[in-house]
Amino acid sequence: MKKTNTIFQEGDHKWIAIVRDPERPGHLVDTNEYLVLHGGKGMLLDPGGAEVFPAVFSALSGEFDPSALSAVFASHQDPDICSSLALWLEFNPGMRCYVSWLWASFIPHFGGTAETFVSMPDEGMDIALDGLMLQALPAHYLHSSGNFHLYDRRAKILFSGDVGAALLPAGHDALFVDNFDTHIRYAEGFHKRWMGSNEAKRRWCERVAQMDIDLLCPQHGAIYQGADVQRFINWFDELQVGILGA
Amino acid sequence: MVSTAAGKPQAGVDLLRIVRINEEIKAVVGVAFKINIMALNAIFLAKRAGTAALGFGVLSNELRVFSQDLRTCMGALTELIHRCVNEVSVVLQDIRHTRLLRDAVLMSSMPGLAVVVHRREAANVEHQERLAGLRRQLQRALEDAFQLVELGGVLAKSAKIEAAYGQGFAASLAQVSGEFDGVVEEIRNSLQALQRSDFFKSN
Repeated sequence: MKKTNTIFQEGDHKWIAIVRDPERPGHLVDTNEYLVLHGGKGMLLDPGGAEVFPAVFSALSGEFDPSALSAVFASHQDPDICSSLALWLEFNPGMRCYVSWLWASFIPHFGGTAETFVSMPDEGMDIALDGLMLQALPAHYLHSSGNFHLYDRRAKILFSGDVGAALLPAGHDALFVDNFDTHIRYAEGFHKRWMGSNEAKRRWCERVAQMDIDLLCPQHGAIYQGADVQRFINWFDELQVGILGA
Repeated sequence: MVSTAAGKPQAGVDLLRIVRINEEIKAVVGVAFKINIMALNAIFLAKRAGTAALGFGVLSNELRVFSQDLRTCMGALTELIHRCVNEVSVVLQDIRHTRLLRDAVLMSSMPGLAVVVHRREAANVEHQERLAGLRRQLQRALEDAFQLVELGGVLAKSAKIEAAYGQGFAASLAQVSGEFDGVVEEIRNSLQALQRSDFFKSN
């Protein structure tokens, strides 16, 4: 079963990271899921693949009634992001799924009805969660061509999807980055290959550098906090991406 | 989940079986189309033979009706097979979803979630019943097709006998009716093999 960690709490406003399943089969990439709670409503960010659904579900249900999930946010269309969608919908068929307009007719192959999907325009949008305004930020081509991150201004948390992701070796299971220089080695290959556009990367870095961020939460690997957030943005800004030697 | 002795889920095995049946039916449909052309040829030949092949002429018209009935019958079989393939696929998807849901609810400490698994299981039962119904319908349709082909066989054999009275046309009439008989026999064997498929032994 995965572990849950509360990474932010202020009254009923809460961010829970669902991470690290010791029983996860090695052939499945490890994923982080994040649950945002506010006023008794919940939104799950990148709910994960179908095969990890039991582990994510059981961890989440220890913290929150899954039938009260009002929405899921899919940063992009990959199977590790949201192939579990049909299973979550079994618990709450009325749940909505926020996704780039680009994938709004592709992701339904994982499940859901026409009413399930809320298409996000390229420029992003505000998403309300029981009075809390969350901001879907464009991060196109990082890595998907229709890609969004989610910013919580009040909690100062940026969910950054695959940006900031690291493929950590066994034993490296800390929730937060504890040594940036060591950690970033596990992120470098991932970013060079998965991120397709230097121009998109530069724009993203310029945008998020202006934002007030305490925690940068990727979908794989450890969370960046404090000074490591800006350190990561600077590192990413200088990294040449989208180049393959082959 | 129902599993076979080899440990494979029953629905997975069923899907393989129904895919094989589908391939066989496609082959039979192709042959049945050939019969239609052969029946037309037989009619033309009988007309050309005139009074020398009156009996053959009657039979060739019957063969033409038979070929049309066979075509309708194959159309119905094809549609049924498609519905079976679809339903087996649904059952296969149910198995995966149910497994994941059961695991999730078992691992969860939250009470009251079992109702979702029960709802899923009720839907599974509904899909399995629908599949069982389709399986019976397909079996009946194959029996009907087999009966029809038996009739075709009788007609082809009678045509072979009538061909012998065709005087100067006897050789060509014998060839047409012989080919007809051969093709009907081919379809008959295929249908017989299909009726024995293990797909019909499942629940």
